[in-house]
Amino acid sequence: MEQIMHTSALMLEGSKVTLEIFFLTLMMALPLGLIVALIRLSGLGILRWAMEFYIWIMRGTPLMLQLLFVYFALPMVGVRLNDLSSALLAFTLNYAAYFAEIFRAGIQSIPRGQYEASKTLGFTYVQTMRHIIIPQMIARVLPPVSNETINLVKDTSLIYILAMNDLLRVARTIVQREFDMTPFVIAAVFYLVMTFVLTWVFNKLEAHYAKYID
Amino acid sequence: MPSTLIDKNDIMVQITGLKKKFGDLQVLDNIDLNICRGEVVAILGPSGSGKSTLLRCMNRLEEINAGSIVIAGETLVENNEKGEASYTSPEKARKILSHMGMVFQQFNLFPHMSVIDNLMAAPKIVKGQSDSEIRPIAEELLKKVGLYDKREVFPSRLSGGQQQRVAIARALAMRPDILLFDEPTSALDPELTIEVLKTIRQLADEKMTMAVVTHEMSFARDVASRVVFMADSHIVEENTSQEFFRNPREERTRNFLKNMLY
Repeated sequence: MEQIMHTSALMLEGSKVTLEIFFLTLMMALPLGLIVALIRLSGLGILRWAMEFYIWIMRGTPLMLQLLFVYFALPMVGVRLNDLSSALLAFTLNYAAYFAEIFRAGIQSIPRGQYEASKTLGFTYVQTMRHIIIPQMIARVLPPVSNETINLVKDTSLIYILAMNDLLRVARTIVQREFDMTPFVIAAVFYLVMTFVLTWVFNKLEAHYAKYID
Repeated sequence: MPSTLIDKNDIMVQITGLKKKFGDLQVLDNIDLNICRGEVVAILGPSGSGKSTLLRCMNRLEEINAGSIVIAGETLVENNEKGEASYTSPEKARKILSHMGMVFQQFNLFPHMSVIDNLMAAPKIVKGQSDSEIRPIAEELLKKVGLYDKREVFPSRLSGGQQQRVAIARALAMRPDILLFDEPTSALDPELTIEVLKTIRQLADEKMTMAVVTHEMSFARDVASRVVFMADSHIVEENTSQEFFRNPREERTRNFLKNMLY
């Protein structure tokens, strides 16, 4: 029992790194994804094309490869980031691409009548997006955003290749040192708790928005 | 209001030589139409005659290919030297179009806002009015359409007829000089149609200038001051509503009325 408590304490430290990556990525990837989606939907030719290219690269290559690229390849061209920044850059760019596609689909699902009503009331395009379209889009994309967010919790474990001591790497170190599989079980419990909390939060959000959805 | 008594300054919407195409399809061909202050113009016609498109051209939900539209004395669009429609600057167009409000067949209320917020959104965001300024006006409008009790609920909790009355109040909150109605009762059950038509009739009594695309013949006969009958992209006949229903001049009109009334 004492052994489990000790292991858990070590792993709690690892969870901090996991949670740090998770929250910082989310805080940056969500707004970036929205900006990418809005540019993609705008009529701006070359910018739109650039966003499509970016999304294609991010969705078309493994996240692991992107992490390795940021960590090992960027320094070769003189861009040197510390471990945390490298991980955050790769995660944010990758997740923003997925969020952008979710937001785009959400925005495109809003009926044309909402734009027309806004226009006849004198709203500008920016006012329409900000006050009418995006708030409705958020309600609609909560389930897929919830999915991606839960994926992100688990994907943070990929940073073990950058030698950062996240939850999974701490667990693996203990397993290798003590030939005891318990840390893996504890790690699973930790991940489950995190995703449970997230699921709960998203359920609350969905219930909050459900009050106006038919 | 007989057209002979109308002062030129009272023309609220003046449409001349309007042409509109969707791809190769000519949906409006050489339309001339004036709407005067205080008039209620019913636009009738079979499906596909172009009547909704005409209404949507008036407030630029559709852009015309040729012709001119003058609203309250200000030119929204006119022909250039090449005979193609050329719109005024975006800022000026925005100002001109603020004279008009619109009510849609599908209501198009903002589902994420309560009823009162639906009314207050545009005055606040577009005109920059304060909450204390617009709230009493919005409440007054909701009382007028009989939905003050529902001010805090979301549109999804309302019947179609109630939603449409909120949509009318929302348009009125922007203080338009002209209201356009695009088949306002076509999505409603007969008993809900009545309450919406009652609200529109009330506005007619207050001398609100309105253009109403509708299939409600009794409404056109009783409430409209003038009827415009469209078929195949043209205005076929135009008359005071009394004369239109009593003595239709054109064969097309007579056939249409026969099918609609019996």
